[in-house]
Amino acid sequence: MDKALQFVSIPPDLWTLIFTWANLLILFLLVKKLLFKPIMNIIKQREDEVGKMYEDAQTASDHAKAMETEYTEKLANAKTQAESIVADAVQNAQARADQIVSDSQAQAASMIEGAQARIAREQKAAVEEAKGEICSMAVLMASKVIEKDLDAAAQSALIEKCMDEMGDTL
Amino acid sequence: MNISVSGPKILFEWGSFHITETVVNGWIIMAVIVLLCIWLTHGLKLRNPSKKQIVAEKLVMMATNMVRDTMGEKYIGFAPYIGTLFAFSVLGSLSSLLGMRPMTGDLNTTLGWALVTFVLVQGNNIRINGLGGWLKSFVQPVAVMLPMNIIGEIANPISMAFRHFGNIASGIVISTLIYSALGALSSTILSFIPVEFINSIPILQVGLPAMLSIYFDLFTGFLQAYIFCMLTMSFVSGVE
Repeated sequence: MDKALQFVSIPPDLWTLIFTWANLLILFLLVKKLLFKPIMNIIKQREDEVGKMYEDAQTASDHAKAMETEYTEKLANAKTQAESIVADAVQNAQARADQIVSDSQAQAASMIEGAQARIAREQKAAVEEAKGEICSMAVLMASKVIEKDLDAAAQSALIEKCMDEMGDTL
Repeated sequence: MNISVSGPKILFEWGSFHITETVVNGWIIMAVIVLLCIWLTHGLKLRNPSKKQIVAEKLVMMATNMVRDTMGEKYIGFAPYIGTLFAFSVLGSLSSLLGMRPMTGDLNTTLGWALVTFVLVQGNNIRINGLGGWLKSFVQPVAVMLPMNIIGEIANPISMAFRHFGNIASGIVISTLIYSALGALSSTILSFIPVEFINSIPILQVGLPAMLSIYFDLFTGFLQAYIFCMLTMSFVSGVE
């Protein structure tokens, strides 16, 4: 039969104990270096990456929020600005229209005035002219009366004739 | 019928120096564990980890979480040691499934591990309380308790060593006994056949011992490894 240790080895076998310790120490160091270190390393790296991703997302979200506020503000500004521009334009147009209307009114008034003056002048001139004519006619008629000693019938016929002539000229 | 159950065989001897079956089986298991570690951690990726990487990460996290839950965050550095101890113990017990003599069925192995735990516990005590505080803890609460305290401290590694050894070794003994009994039984049953070749076939040895092996090797192997690691963790972190 092969040589063997006792089944329950009391006292303990020193060489086996020494090998047990050495084996355990070596295996511990190897497992730590080959399994735990790389795995913990990769888990740590992944955690870092996830943390960084969260941070980036937070930054991006903050940035987007800031931009949104900025744009809202800008949009509101633009709206006010547009409103003020339109209001200005309306005001300008109104002023311009008023100006044009008042200008044209003044012009029309002056034109009417001018026309009235001219009419008056022309009326006056016509009256003057008519007066002149009447005078010359009177002179003519007078000379005719003087020239011919006329009876009443002849005189009225003459006046009648004169009037007809005058009516033709007037 | 004589059945003999022997201790680990001595495979190499030179003067008083010798290497036993236990030590060689330990080397084989160490090689398996180291190759497994190298294979599992080959080609680690940060994103889209492979299936084996997920398994490796799961194993490491299990050991780390167990140490964190039992010992607390400040002893988290013990995780690789506890993981190593658990793997060595489980595979050391399960090696019997491959027909090897389980290394944990040798008292020297479990005693060696228990003495490491003992040293860790006393070392941790000295680290926390100082040499004076450590010595003083043996005369607490009264000086008369000194022998009791010393026995109490020494009993821990001894009970741990014998518990683990006893469970695995009894598995070896019972398996051997049942194996021989089944062989004897089957030759008795087959003895009516006059051909010697046929009635020497141990038909009952097929299958039945495997059922027992599931309990004695698998279940006990895992349970004892777990108990040993748990005790180590609670003894070391239980130092006040």
